[in-house]
Amino acid sequence: MGAAPASRDVTSYGMGLAAPLALFFLLFFVAPLLQLLWLSLHNDTTALHWGLGQYLHFLTDPFSLSVLGSTLLLGAEVTAVCLVLGFPIAWLYQRVGPKLQTIIILIVLLPLLTSVVVRTFAWIVILGRQGIINATLQSLGIIDTPLKLLYTQFGVVLALAQVQMPLMTLPLITALGRIDPNLDDASCSLGAGSWRTFFRIVLPLALPGVIAGCTLTYAAAITAFITQSLIGGGQMLFMPMYLYQQASTLQNWPFAAAISIIFLLAVLAVVSVFTTLGRMSRGYGGA
Amino acid sequence: MIMNRRSLLTTALTLGAMKAFPGLSYAQARPLVFATFTGSWEEAHKAVLVPAFRKANADAAMVLDPMLSVDQIAKVNAAKANPPIDVMLHDPGPALVAIGQDLVEPYPVEKSAYYKDLITEAQEPMGPAPFFQVVGLTYNPEAVKTPPTSWADLWKPEFKGRVGITNLNSTLGTGWLVEIAKMRGGSEANVDPGFKALEELKPNLAAVAANPGALATLFQQGQIDISPGNFNAIQILKARGVPVEFVAPKEGAIAFKTTIHIVKNSPNRELAFKLIEASLTPEVQTTLMNPPYLIVPTNSKVTMGGEIARVLAKDTAELKQKFVFQDWKKINEQRSAWIERFNREIKI
Repeated sequence: MGAAPASRDVTSYGMGLAAPLALFFLLFFVAPLLQLLWLSLHNDTTALHWGLGQYLHFLTDPFSLSVLGSTLLLGAEVTAVCLVLGFPIAWLYQRVGPKLQTIIILIVLLPLLTSVVVRTFAWIVILGRQGIINATLQSLGIIDTPLKLLYTQFGVVLALAQVQMPLMTLPLITALGRIDPNLDDASCSLGAGSWRTFFRIVLPLALPGVIAGCTLTYAAAITAFITQSLIGGGQMLFMPMYLYQQASTLQNWPFAAAISIIFLLAVLAVVSVFTTLGRMSRGYGGA
Repeated sequence: MIMNRRSLLTTALTLGAMKAFPGLSYAQARPLVFATFTGSWEEAHKAVLVPAFRKANADAAMVLDPMLSVDQIAKVNAAKANPPIDVMLHDPGPALVAIGQDLVEPYPVEKSAYYKDLITEAQEPMGPAPFFQVVGLTYNPEAVKTPPTSWADLWKPEFKGRVGITNLNSTLGTGWLVEIAKMRGGSEANVDPGFKALEELKPNLAAVAANPGALATLFQQGQIDISPGNFNAIQILKARGVPVEFVAPKEGAIAFKTTIHIVKNSPNRELAFKLIEASLTPEVQTTLMNPPYLIVPTNSKVTMGGEIARVLAKDTAELKQKFVFQDWKKINEQRSAWIERFNREIKI
């Protein structure tokens, strides 16, 4: 792995410095992952009989597949909301003075400084029957009976979007910061309107940031056990809760392991779609 | 004995290592480890049970290691020959799992000074029940003017969109479904009537919480006005100023035995026995019965007092008459199928 000692090439680099972390990952990530895979390949809860029964059970069961589908869909919705709301903030950040920049970055980072549990409970207060939204709408006379916001898909998407927003905004800020502002001016002086400039210049150049932000937000949103179960409640089943139920309440570890592996593969598939898009965008941006 | 510098250094290093990594030293030297539950249980045991045990056993070293039942079972299972826990605490479902997996020792009943004083339902030879958890109806007295009296009240049209329940992950959720099934002619072996009743409850359901803790917060938010609830948890909420009341339904309040067990192959068997004995004494149980803990006692020598006497039972005789115990052996057989069915059918 390391550079050949005879002819020291200054452009090559040794992998030695990465060894401690690699070893750490091998011991505490790869090994448990292999154990999980081993466990999932058993047909009975005591893990004595080999077989693909757990996978067959999941993949032939419409209910399990619908749980997987709704989880992946939830991730897509949250990512879309984060992108639409986060992009203008990141764009604004690049246009304002240093004082406002500090304020914006503080607002973006602030949620990261509070625990997820606290933020989620705050959303219960906001979305509840006598919560801020319902109380305001009622006092304005817009609605008579309180809207059901808590324990709905809408509520989960809203809360998750706020909780995961920094993961979208930060990569976007970085990506937009790398774009030369002169390009905008050049585009305008050559006669393109604001929208045309945005779609033909800014967006393609910002795509790597968009892809990175989407990947992070997506992965975080679909695995957010706490927010999903507290805002979604006990009857909206997503993959993390399904997994927990099988492993913890039912002690059916092989099935739980199979759920984890399937979930992992599904997420990897989505992430690889994002990465492919990213690679294509690089070609586009360079063109 | 001649000590050169090297041997002195080795000795010092060994002693230091033993201090830094207690697992290296002899198993017998490990303090007694009691895996209680997290939250209010841990607080109660730290404040009452541990001091009582220390006082009776010459300040013997012990550690509270709070964790969920399933984690206790997993940890003991992973090291059966040299378990990291000496005393386990379980709800009825997990207790049967632990016994079934041969993780606990029979309680030395003949040696025990207090076992015979426990009410019969608490006398479990594989590990006695020092406490009961009681599930009844919880309601918000500001919204519900006439206190409910029966589980059937949850189906009243006036509670449209005001009822909360939990899913079957919890002992509370599962036990409640069984009770509803019984009310409609079912049993621990047949919860079909319970599921039919749930179907009819749907218009009234405002929330299916993921766990009993989440259900309690829904009262605080005014999201629900009535639900099945745990006596102990409700008293804690009430003490914090949330408008909630607990009432035992006329069908009987559901009582869960919280059992305490000596772990098989425990290196601290004798101390483990002593700790369990301490949890069965009338003194400890009386203290835990009083505020702020309000844990229902199982020793018949304890005189009921306070909120427990007012709401639940004045004495053991009344307690036996008003409490319903369930057959968790039967429940465990089909619980996974019920959870699956609940996942599929209960969508609101």
